[in-house]
Amino acid sequence: MPKSEPVDVNFFKPRGGSMKREIRLIVLVLAGWLLAVAGSQGFVYLLASTRLGAFLSAYTFFNLPMPFWLTGHFLPFWFIILCVLFNVWMDRHARQNLDGSLRFRARNDPGRET
Amino acid sequence: MFASTVQLLPLAIVAGLLALLAISGLRSRGRQATEYGFAGGYVGRVGIGAAIASNWMSAASFLGLAGMFYLKGYFAMAFVVGWTGGYVLLLVLMATQIRRFGKYTAPDFVAFRYESEAARTVAAVIAILITVIYSVAQFRGIALLVSWLFGIAYIPAVIIGAALVVGFVIVSGTLGVARNQKLQYFTLIIAFILPLMLLTRKLGYFWLLPQIGYGSAITDLQQQFGFAWAQPFAGDSLFAWMAVCFSLMFGTAGLPHVLSRFYMVPGIRDARWGLVWGLFFIALIYWSAPAYGVLARLFEARAGIPFDLANPAMADMAVLSAAQHGGLPMWVTGLLAAGGISAAFYTVASLLLTGAASFSYDLYPRLIRPNATETDKVYAAKGFFPLLALVSLALALQPTTMMIAEIAALAFALAGNTIFPAFLLGIWWGRANAAGVISGMLAGVLITALPLLLGNSVPLLAKLLPVTSSAFLGAPLVVAIMITVSLLTAPPSIEIRTFLSRNVHECQED
Repeated sequence: MPKSEPVDVNFFKPRGGSMKREIRLIVLVLAGWLLAVAGSQGFVYLLASTRLGAFLSAYTFFNLPMPFWLTGHFLPFWFIILCVLFNVWMDRHARQNLDGSLRFRARNDPGRET
Repeated sequence: MFASTVQLLPLAIVAGLLALLAISGLRSRGRQATEYGFAGGYVGRVGIGAAIASNWMSAASFLGLAGMFYLKGYFAMAFVVGWTGGYVLLLVLMATQIRRFGKYTAPDFVAFRYESEAARTVAAVIAILITVIYSVAQFRGIALLVSWLFGIAYIPAVIIGAALVVGFVIVSGTLGVARNQKLQYFTLIIAFILPLMLLTRKLGYFWLLPQIGYGSAITDLQQQFGFAWAQPFAGDSLFAWMAVCFSLMFGTAGLPHVLSRFYMVPGIRDARWGLVWGLFFIALIYWSAPAYGVLARLFEARAGIPFDLANPAMADMAVLSAAQHGGLPMWVTGLLAAGGISAAFYTVASLLLTGAASFSYDLYPRLIRPNATETDKVYAAKGFFPLLALVSLALALQPTTMMIAEIAALAFALAGNTIFPAFLLGIWWGRANAAGVISGMLAGVLITALPLLLGNSVPLLAKLLPVTSSAFLGAPLVVAIMITVSLLTAPPSIEIRTFLSRNVHECQED
């Protein structure tokens, strides 16, 4: 049998429903990660020299100056949330895949009574 | 701050903690395979998380981060975000897939995925370089603590500290001490947070959660002493902040000893959830570390001690400085020192052993002695271990203005510029090939070394590729180089591309 060309893995061109769903989730998580880091710091930086920025630096949230809390406390907490969401989805995805493969095997088992 | 006499009580506590961890390791060595390590069976997700966190916690986390806050204020937040955010990258892009390759070290992975022994050699040399740089940071931390404990100067303290680490590893290895990582993490976290609670209580702040209680100290510093260093971007640019943050993130997802956590984990699901617990445990330290830097500044300002911006060693001792100037009992300060020493000891031991294994397994039988038996490899590892320690010691003796966290950041930048792109494209792009990864990793080494070699002689380069954070622009550049070279050369074999699509990603045609 001649060797057929394999399906090349490419993050930007996922093949198959399972990989497409996984990559969609990865993109969503990475977008949440990037937006939180770049967005929060861009926001703090843009406001740094303004009156609103001075107010935010003076304003305390959970006893900390707002930028300190936002960067030092919220971002690590947000990363944990992103990881939890990713894991919950991946667990569900793995269960669905397992169910699907079990049904497939059952349907194709000639010795099984239906 | 630096005492000139031997600190007997703290010294006894340090010795006691190391002995406790060693005895616990001795008692548990029989159970190691089933309870504690990835080398064995199921350890529970919390256990995996504690193992990840204890493996991660080094002198850079225990001493260096507080020192960065002490010296640079808000800028140090880049380290907190970088060292935690990197775990998101690791989880979503690598943790699950790495295990499916069934390889045990980073060079092993590179050799298998790119079907190249030359790529393995380059990866092994880089892994050893990372080990050395990271160990230098640990040696500096150990030396500062030994210097305080024995009341001696820095240089003899480095030598004594290095001798203690090597002796500790040899004795542990001879006795077959296993690393009880769960106990180690929980001991370290108590040693770190208990003194902080006592300090904030003494100051009348909200002490039950000192991670937020220290906010009052920032306000006091601003109102009483006019310190504005807590203001965002007061002294550094947004680019510099982002460069540090993303360089550390890329480095976290590229450090060989961090990646190795996922090679042999018993189950993918446990690995994923263990990582979340690990991130939580690490975040507990990073939510607390800024408090030490801020409190050290407050106590020193109140005592009228002038702030010395040019003294990185003083900043790296901020944790102990806060405890001493805060008037905590000596046993509490000793507990802190014991935590710092044990974090650095275990990290440096694990790094040097990993480096020695990389040499004996990936380089020695391929470049030096092709017919090496397993016994030869063991002797090669035993011989290379003290050599690595000596090289790290020699580098730690060099005078530098870099702080512990900055030296560690350099190791992260190297990992981010080399191993991270190799793993990223190796997992997510089937067309990446050996020529691509070799040129990419070599370019990554060059990108990391250039700012060190050129200094400020090329101002634009120094600005775009800072010494401690070159991976921010370097990693994307290396990815681009890898893609270009791979497209210009022959694709990898059908076998490896099929393995990647079927075994790693299970992708099928619609």
